[in-house]
Amino acid sequence: MSEILNVSRRDFLAGSGSLVLGFTLVGMPRVAAFDETVVLGSTNEQGAVFSLNAWLRVAGNGVVTIRMGASEMGQGVYTSLPMLLAEELDVAWNDVRIESAPAGKEFRRESPSFPGKVQLTGGSESVRGYWNILRKAGASARAMLIEAAAERWGVSPLACTTLAGSVRHGQRSATYGSLASDAARIATPGNVTLKDPADFKLIGTSPPRSDLPPKVDGSAVFGIDVQVEGMVNATVVACPHYGGSLVSFDDRKARGVAGVLDVFQVDNAVAVVADTFWHAKKASRLLEIVWEKGEGAGVDDAAVSALLREALGQGKKRYGVGPKPEGMDIEAVFETPFLEHAPIEPMNATAWIQKDRVDVWAPTQAQARLKRRAAKLAKRPQRQVFVHTTFLGGGFGRRGFDDFGDYAVKIATRMEGTPVKLIYTREETFTHGYHRPASMCRMRAKLGEDGLPSDLHMELSCQSILAEYLPPLLLEAPFATNTAIDGLKHSPYSIPRQQVDYKRVTLPVPVGWWRSVHGSHNAFYRECFLDELAEKAGQDPVEYRRALLQGSPRDLGVFELAVDKAGPVPEGLHRGVAVFECFGSYVAEVVDIEVIDGVVYPRRLVAAVDCGMVVHPDTVKAQIMGGATMGLSTTLYGKLSLVDGAVQETNYHQYPLLGMNQAPRVEVHIVPSAEPPGGVGEVGLPPAMGALCNAIYAATGKRIRTLPVADQLKA
Amino acid sequence: MIELNINGRDVQVDAEPDTPLLWVLREQLGMTGTKFGCGIGMCGACTIHFAGTAVRSCTLPVAGAVGIPITTIEGLDSPVQGAWIAEQVPQCGYCQSGQIMAAAAMLAQNPRPTDADIDAQMTNLCRCATYDRIRKGIKAAAATIPLPPTPEPSLEPAPEPVPEEQPTESGEASQ
Repeated sequence: MSEILNVSRRDFLAGSGSLVLGFTLVGMPRVAAFDETVVLGSTNEQGAVFSLNAWLRVAGNGVVTIRMGASEMGQGVYTSLPMLLAEELDVAWNDVRIESAPAGKEFRRESPSFPGKVQLTGGSESVRGYWNILRKAGASARAMLIEAAAERWGVSPLACTTLAGSVRHGQRSATYGSLASDAARIATPGNVTLKDPADFKLIGTSPPRSDLPPKVDGSAVFGIDVQVEGMVNATVVACPHYGGSLVSFDDRKARGVAGVLDVFQVDNAVAVVADTFWHAKKASRLLEIVWEKGEGAGVDDAAVSALLREALGQGKKRYGVGPKPEGMDIEAVFETPFLEHAPIEPMNATAWIQKDRVDVWAPTQAQARLKRRAAKLAKRPQRQVFVHTTFLGGGFGRRGFDDFGDYAVKIATRMEGTPVKLIYTREETFTHGYHRPASMCRMRAKLGEDGLPSDLHMELSCQSILAEYLPPLLLEAPFATNTAIDGLKHSPYSIPRQQVDYKRVTLPVPVGWWRSVHGSHNAFYRECFLDELAEKAGQDPVEYRRALLQGSPRDLGVFELAVDKAGPVPEGLHRGVAVFECFGSYVAEVVDIEVIDGVVYPRRLVAAVDCGMVVHPDTVKAQIMGGATMGLSTTLYGKLSLVDGAVQETNYHQYPLLGMNQAPRVEVHIVPSAEPPGGVGEVGLPPAMGALCNAIYAATGKRIRTLPVADQLKA
Repeated sequence: MIELNINGRDVQVDAEPDTPLLWVLREQLGMTGTKFGCGIGMCGACTIHFAGTAVRSCTLPVAGAVGIPITTIEGLDSPVQGAWIAEQVPQCGYCQSGQIMAAAAMLAQNPRPTDADIDAQMTNLCRCATYDRIRKGIKAAAATIPLPPTPEPSLEPAPEPVPEEQPTESGEASQ
């Protein structure tokens, strides 16, 4: 079989002439010095190639290759980040190629939320975290190219200018390609001056995304597509009960499946290794495993609700405005469930352990941590570990965790010398996640004579998503608890007396970052309760917010823009509005819906975003659209249920996602701003949740206080 | 050996007859453009053309594909792909091979789909929720497809319309 294929395979791949990706040809793993897994761009390098710093190299034909320390998971960073560098370098965008960089400390970024540098794609921090670093890298290389030209011409560097990939002085001009070899010998300048944003030519425009051509012809290499010569395939079956353990297993039937190479225990799971994933999956269904429920015993939806409810009165004050709120006359208790990230690409990673070299190919948001862990697990020094980041088939936070990379390395260590691709089945992906935690919130308020709230008391109970990483004592520190109350604290509404209490609960369910993190429930709590207050006051929810937002100009700005662009409510539709701010950005959304036989059809969503300076407006619009629509999907259908600590939803038929027939038409409007950039990937999601439930009330008179909406509107 | 016709070429594969076509494409032919998402015919990431009809290959046993012309994303040449770039549709892109295959099959049968047609026939899931741009992409692609000339009135009776084959909606879990 393989003979036929190796000869003729290229012919099957229509359009394969343009393939430039490293792993599309079996037997040709590319692990050279620049050991890219993703290469994008319309032009190829020609002539000698010189690196001017870790981030870029210049080829003789002037093509500039920019290396990406972040992961491309749909948010468009393989376009917006190289734009930062290309802007300062002053190179034509068409001459830019983009490569994924390996894990390495030279590819780290800054963080707006903590000191130090990381190579981690998350927190909507890519543009913010690379904003200075990549601009400086571009400006520094430009200065070196100018100096090389000035030396060649015997003129002052100060008298030289640049234009789209060449240095100029009077009538003289030299391309970057012709200067690269000289520039590479010049020391990196200590200080460079960055452009005044008013002079940006590329930043603020929307060139077509660099990663889309391979995504429309099947040639893009996601983690699951990696092929290494001699590779075998594996899958795992881990204990379904969170908090439980593996007691024993019988693999005799599984070993009878054709192609199965080995079956063994890895931690709390059984791994099946076979020639193909299909055989491994088939065999994994025949394993007979005895599990111990352990701490998972008795952990079900009712027990989780009871725990969260009991915790509501026990929270400590974590935030306050003015004196303690008192004399409450309106109260509502809201609840949201555990959620799965549910990216369409199942969890996977490929590892190859050789005597003095470890390679891991993974769709990961955390390549630096993967490198450290792989070194430890394979007992090799980090300098012998090479992590290759592929395209990610969705991330949403899930691919920032270590489980799939760890399993791949552990299994490959057992199979030393043989490359192993580990793929979770969809069922394994659903039932072994790091879920958005379930939470409950009691909101109480008192209204003043003007109908506006004078007192607001918010009590939240929820697991800590940092429990995986920090000892319990630190989980009570403000930096940890502030995460949980994001959006409840520092609300934009002028309310004289406010208090936020938070009680951390403990459950054996692994929890973690899920797109927009705690905004994914706090926006629902805050924005729905605000509508309840408006109703109690007999006021329109739009006017009510407008009155309360007067002290928060950026929230007010997006709110007014969204409301204005949405115009009057179309006939037959019902409207909800919400505003939320997180990750340094501000978003307001207006949702117009129709409810037919208890099914909600969001027909139109108008969003306004203020995310400071915008690098690539079309990507911002795409992210707000996607985030908001994912928020609608989650509000309507997202829920994981537990029985004895085991997730009951094993596939999409039990965890519905919004489909085409329910997805709204989306308009996104951007507020022009000269403020520093804010995050974009997550900020569209939270307001959609509140706006949708407020629209449901307008349509049906039913207040949604527990998510998901699911069948609550059915007769 | 099982004989298949993929992207206009005949190929022989050595696979058990119950192996889903998806895994024959991905693991035996190395054609990884067709994606694995759910394994139960639910998400549509594995959509291919089966005699021109969009079908989910993760629940299609390879034995059932003998003698039927199969097209995968690697062999597709459709205005949908250009429209997907023009409208900047994909985000992570993982589901988009399947979305493109579904859209191309729909347009081949119905070059001017209404919104209701799109709602009914585009049942693939997208976790990035690019639906609004998928809709725009379909319309942009449709605008590039010339409509066939209106046929002359004929005395012959019109042929019976062929019922459209629907993609598997909720196939029983094959595992």
